[in-house]
Amino acid sequence: MKKRKIIMTLFVALMLQITFAQEKTVSGIVSDGSGALPGVSIVIQGTSRGVETDFDGKYAIKANSGDILVFRYLGYKTTNTPVGTSNTINVTLEEGGEVLDEIVVTAFGIKREKKEISYVVEKVSTDKLLAVQPQSAASALAGKVAGLQINVQNNGVNPSTQILLRGMRSISQSNSALIVIDGSIASQGAFDQLNPNDIENISVLKGATAAALYGSRAGNGALIVNTKKGDLGEKITVGINTSYTIEEVSFMPDMQESYGTGWQGAYDPYENTNWGPAFDGLTRRIGPIFSDGSYQAIPYAPIKDNLKDFYDTGSSSQNTVYLSGSDEKNRFYLSLGQLDNTGIVPSDSYKRNTFRVNASRKMGDVKLSVNTSYTTDRTDIVGNTIGEQERPLYWHVLNTAANIPLSTYKDWRNDLYSSPDGYFNAYYENPYWAIDTNRDMDRSKRLNGNIALNWEVNSWLNLTGRLGVNNLSRQGKNYRAAQPYSVENHLMTAGRPNPVTSFVEDYESQSTQYTTDFLAEGKFNINDKFTLKAILGATNFTSQFRESEYKANNLSIPGFYDLSNTTGQLQGGLSGGAFVNERQKKTYGIFGDVTVGYDDILYLNVSGRNDWTSTLDENNNSYFYPSVGLSFSFADLLEFDDLNYGKFTVSNSIVYNDVGPYAINETYSQQVGFPYSSTGLNGFVIAGTAVDASVGKEKIATLEFGLGLGLFNNRVTLDASYYTSTTTDLITTATTAPSAGSSAILTNIGSIEGDSYELSLGLTPFKALNNGDFNWNLNTNFTTIKQTVTEIQEGVDEIRIGGTAEAGVYAVVGEAFPQIKATSYERDPQGRVVIDAATGNPKVGGLKSLGQTTPKYIVGLTNAFSYKGFTLTTTMDYRTGHVYYSQLADRMEFTGRSQESVSANRQDFIFPNSVTNTGTADNPVYVANNNIQTTGGGQNFWTNTFNDIKENYVKDATSLKIREVSLRYELPDKYINNIGLSKVTLGLIARNLAVWLPKENRFSDPEFNNPLREDIDINAIGIGGYNQSPPTRSFGLNVNLEF
Amino acid sequence: MKTTTKYIFIAILSMLAISCDSSYLDVNTDPNNPLTVSPDLILPVAQRYTDYSRNYGRKTNTLGNLLMQNWSQADGYSWYQSEFEYVVNTTFYSGIWNYQYQSALKQYHALDVNDANYEYYQAIAKIMKSYHYQILVDTYGDIPYFEALNRGGNPTPKFDDALEVYEDLIIVLDQAIALISTGTTNLNVIKPGADDTMFSGDMMSWKKLANTIKLRILVRQSDISGRESYLTTEFNKIKSEGSGFITEDVLTNPGYAQQADQQNPFWDSYGQDTNSEYINDYYATCATPFVLATLDGLGDSRIDYIYEEPETGHLGVDQGLSAYPQPTGTLGEANVSNIGEGLLKSATQSSVVFALAEAELLQAEAAFKSYLNDAQGHFNSGIAASFSYLGAPGANAYTSSGKNLADYAASTNKLEAIITQKWIALNGIDAIQSWFDYNRTGYPSNLPVSLSAPTEDRPVRLMYPAKEISGNSANVPAQPDVFTDKIFWAQ
Repeated sequence: MKKRKIIMTLFVALMLQITFAQEKTVSGIVSDGSGALPGVSIVIQGTSRGVETDFDGKYAIKANSGDILVFRYLGYKTTNTPVGTSNTINVTLEEGGEVLDEIVVTAFGIKREKKEISYVVEKVSTDKLLAVQPQSAASALAGKVAGLQINVQNNGVNPSTQILLRGMRSISQSNSALIVIDGSIASQGAFDQLNPNDIENISVLKGATAAALYGSRAGNGALIVNTKKGDLGEKITVGINTSYTIEEVSFMPDMQESYGTGWQGAYDPYENTNWGPAFDGLTRRIGPIFSDGSYQAIPYAPIKDNLKDFYDTGSSSQNTVYLSGSDEKNRFYLSLGQLDNTGIVPSDSYKRNTFRVNASRKMGDVKLSVNTSYTTDRTDIVGNTIGEQERPLYWHVLNTAANIPLSTYKDWRNDLYSSPDGYFNAYYENPYWAIDTNRDMDRSKRLNGNIALNWEVNSWLNLTGRLGVNNLSRQGKNYRAAQPYSVENHLMTAGRPNPVTSFVEDYESQSTQYTTDFLAEGKFNINDKFTLKAILGATNFTSQFRESEYKANNLSIPGFYDLSNTTGQLQGGLSGGAFVNERQKKTYGIFGDVTVGYDDILYLNVSGRNDWTSTLDENNNSYFYPSVGLSFSFADLLEFDDLNYGKFTVSNSIVYNDVGPYAINETYSQQVGFPYSSTGLNGFVIAGTAVDASVGKEKIATLEFGLGLGLFNNRVTLDASYYTSTTTDLITTATTAPSAGSSAILTNIGSIEGDSYELSLGLTPFKALNNGDFNWNLNTNFTTIKQTVTEIQEGVDEIRIGGTAEAGVYAVVGEAFPQIKATSYERDPQGRVVIDAATGNPKVGGLKSLGQTTPKYIVGLTNAFSYKGFTLTTTMDYRTGHVYYSQLADRMEFTGRSQESVSANRQDFIFPNSVTNTGTADNPVYVANNNIQTTGGGQNFWTNTFNDIKENYVKDATSLKIREVSLRYELPDKYINNIGLSKVTLGLIARNLAVWLPKENRFSDPEFNNPLREDIDINAIGIGGYNQSPPTRSFGLNVNLEF
Repeated sequence: MKTTTKYIFIAILSMLAISCDSSYLDVNTDPNNPLTVSPDLILPVAQRYTDYSRNYGRKTNTLGNLLMQNWSQADGYSWYQSEFEYVVNTTFYSGIWNYQYQSALKQYHALDVNDANYEYYQAIAKIMKSYHYQILVDTYGDIPYFEALNRGGNPTPKFDDALEVYEDLIIVLDQAIALISTGTTNLNVIKPGADDTMFSGDMMSWKKLANTIKLRILVRQSDISGRESYLTTEFNKIKSEGSGFITEDVLTNPGYAQQADQQNPFWDSYGQDTNSEYINDYYATCATPFVLATLDGLGDSRIDYIYEEPETGHLGVDQGLSAYPQPTGTLGEANVSNIGEGLLKSATQSSVVFALAEAELLQAEAAFKSYLNDAQGHFNSGIAASFSYLGAPGANAYTSSGKNLADYAASTNKLEAIITQKWIALNGIDAIQSWFDYNRTGYPSNLPVSLSAPTEDRPVRLMYPAKEISGNSANVPAQPDVFTDKIFWAQ
């Protein structure tokens, strides 16, 4: 007995000895033809164990004899080398490389080779994002990725953007792409506040399939943002990036300049409207006559650019200092960024400071990494409740006639003609006064980051745990000074605008989101031909939000903006009664993903996720999302030399959206105006929105086909895809008939179907063989998107999601979504306008569908030319097939500024192409009208009949924009190395350099949009006008130094 | 190191495990808004809505004032163009429909429940619902009624015949009166108190109001041929019920104050802002020559209370002028008669829900048609009530002045006198009722039409609004001809 045990023990020990003896440390240097290659990835085939080469190309890895080492580096051919008896393996890599070997980061940080994935991923790298030093990365994505539509919705000092991937699939839920930063789900606010200089690359996961593992909101696709983690190699890099740009108005609306201040054809020295007589150059009084008999007199003639001169030249400076480096075990990246932006509106400013620390450390098989950023910002802009009518500033600027020298009225405190009592306009106040007396200030602090632990348990198992946090705290103060007027001393005056009451509004909010993810990844080689990758994961997401707002009216002490200063009751900002709101939502889910590969050519992927949410009823709050995809790389099979790679994919997925917190509760809220303090009465009103008891999730099913080709040594690359999506059980707040006693009902009704083509073509017509030769890369992408509402509800053909009853954004059965409907001309079957025989004026017809508000076609083009250190890049995009409703044009009709209103010299005229109905309503007989003239052509026709037909203000939103131009020069090493610099780049940059719009739309940028509010009109894009400043262009310099 | 890692993983795993507990997701109770609320917090809001549905901005009172030549527009303002041009379309005064259904009726309906001890609140709800439904029928004709107000239960209610609605309103008002009687015998009945901003919980007054609304419904049908027996039966029921009609103006006031969103709605819309400055609507609105001439011709002292007299004397502006006379300002706000202090009293003034003047003049008409007694007495009382509300002197002298249309005995056409006096009494208070009367009777006679009118006479009803059409297209009837298709009681 004892003897056998001893022999067994010895035998085992010997075996162990042999095993341990077989594992050794293999090391060497990896280089290419010209030198050592840092950052080359070396992996033991069939496992996930690997290392990277350092700055000198050296590596060291523990492996057994017989293992195969796979050397992989972008741009070079992947090389496999077996481990033999020697402990040193030096490798030289050949240029070439398969694009499909490229590693792509997909959902949850899962890394896949491009050939394995069955959906479309496009990557945008840091130099493409930073070409023109944008304030936030979202605007730099425009025109660069097929299927991605970026709408810059306003152009104030802190612009807001909308990120849409593949159109809009939902009527009432958000269509914005999901944002993931360094592996954890974050918000678009966090993305907008990221210093763009910190971004390494952004992977765009376009379809539902790509994001299926993310669960809810995956239907909108995802932007995976990776920040810089630290340059490879032992060297530490210190860098400074500075840019300075100036901003100026690109164009003002095209308005008439033949008629000036007046009403009903008569000159009026006090008017904001332009219904006066034709300009004749005579000097006339403008404004009131003061007590000493004096008054201001100006020539009655148009002043060129009088409104444009109101605006300043804005400026923006961005500075970032960064430090990055790595050694064997550690990598780090630190940066400090500062942005200072002054806008075109005088006194508008935005300042932002960002601080980022990304660090990771390898401790044996475990890697710990921390990626965090802390951002503070401050916005100080003019308020948008100016005057008794509570208008935005642009409104006051637009309500100034062409003969008014607006920019001479700056000194409203001292100059009589600029002062509130002396300003000429009896209806709207001096915009310079408005700037100093109405302010909207906002400060925010955001902490966004995560901590992750990755453990390579053994050769086939890898575990990851991640905890992410996104915490935003905001404070805002919005105030307006009171303005009484006194005109008793004026000898003649038409009165003043309604007196303005003062208020101060204080706002505070805290928003915190936590996500925790846990993944287990396994890789197996089943036999020679089959590989299996499996992932099992669990994740959880918690979102908490609290806000409070108070408004105090009628302040006692002027200039002191604090709540204690009120003479009346405190009033809530939004809905009356100072309010505090809290919201909480939690979801958790588990998911699994299996990819089977055959012979490195064919890959089948099946994934599924199940979510549980807190926002739906307990019986109905769990849902399961499956997705399946196939990817086939056929290049090797075809034996066509010039075809470097070819890939065909097909995939199918189902994802769900659920509702917001508390949405399923029908609650009471305090009625505006209550409580009445003298009687102590309080009052509550039932929600206007009823809730369908069975409301649940909406479902999005997507089918996608893709084709990727690389030809002629990848000098031609093509990525094409076609996809269809069907959204059913749309969560809709459908407007109900008022007679049902509610204004809306939350229910699941209807469906939207859409399909789209995307094409992304990359060409390198001229390839530089040596450094400094001429190289020309161009990339063009083409997208078509069409989403059509197929069903809403029995008996209901349309619902309005935004705008007004006369010009609104709708979902209409059978029409593209979203659709603008507006009151229109009544027309005969031949399309001629029917007029009323008694007045000669067109009849106002009913609402008519006038077109979709998201582009049907988007074409983006990016060019990069480089020659001897100079690089010129341009990005432009063209959008067409859509319309928008210009509120600016509509309101300016009332003030008599439109070109149409002078088209007949303010006389009655025969409405072109018009007919009268000489028959009856049931049997119409249309006769061409050649003699009946309109009534009120001097003014009333335009302000009443013409203005009631909102079709006149729905314009073609086509635009061609040169969004980015940059010319950079990188100083050759020989000049800079002596001073200790390793890189110096100088650049000239320009944003929105030129815009071409169709002739009918010369009012503003058609991308500008009124702010979209969650739960109210979040998808009602296509209405804009006077809430945004005029469009601008900017240009400047950029310098980047690295030590 | 490995041990630490193990512990970290266990920690993360357990975090997830803990979170998978069943109450983890139970965070969906709204902390910001309550799910249920007691009736005394619902009623005052509903009564505010009743007031706003008449007086806040372009609603029933304004429509009536403009169509009935009570109001016009001063020079320098482009305020009432659509009204002067009779541009009746699906958005014209759609607030009358939308606000009454979505605010007033919705809120009263929440009180109309058969819960225990709810008799009084339920009665109030039924009475006020009838009040609003009658106005809707009178403005639009067929309306959703039996299936209305069910929110998620029936988002597309069918339209009911106007006459059927009228008949059911009488039945409902009877139910309300019965409920009040039942409630009086219930020891546990929940009694409205200060939250009832109309009557402070005085249920006898509610019974009187119910009878007065019945009176209005019945008198409105008094010109339909063949309706006499129905009306006689109903009038007899009122007499036997015994509570009678209102004896004072029915006013509502939740505690109006000079604060944003708390001013009396009529004051807020046509008077001054919270800084005591007159607003543009005040300056834009003025009298017409017709109404001034009528009041002047009758020697009616109310003229100085309904309208403000400028230094240069009362001056009205024709409706629908295409060009104001030169020099600019001839018909400007300083020279024309804006709304007077009898109507615009203060930011804290109470609003009239049902004027005593109207109740008395309805009784006068019913008596004239022999359903009640003492037409002349009610006529004089009605006028006195109007004088009293406005603060004007000399009611007695007025009604014994011997003038046609002011003195009942001296009036040749009694009905014309009653209706014309009702038109004067409701000027600026509830003018839409005088529009209904005009459609039915044609009085006051020779009422001018706006100068920019496209038709011979003013509209007789409104179009079904756009929101109802887009939300309920299958049920909304074809739009009537708003100039010729009169409501059923005016055929």
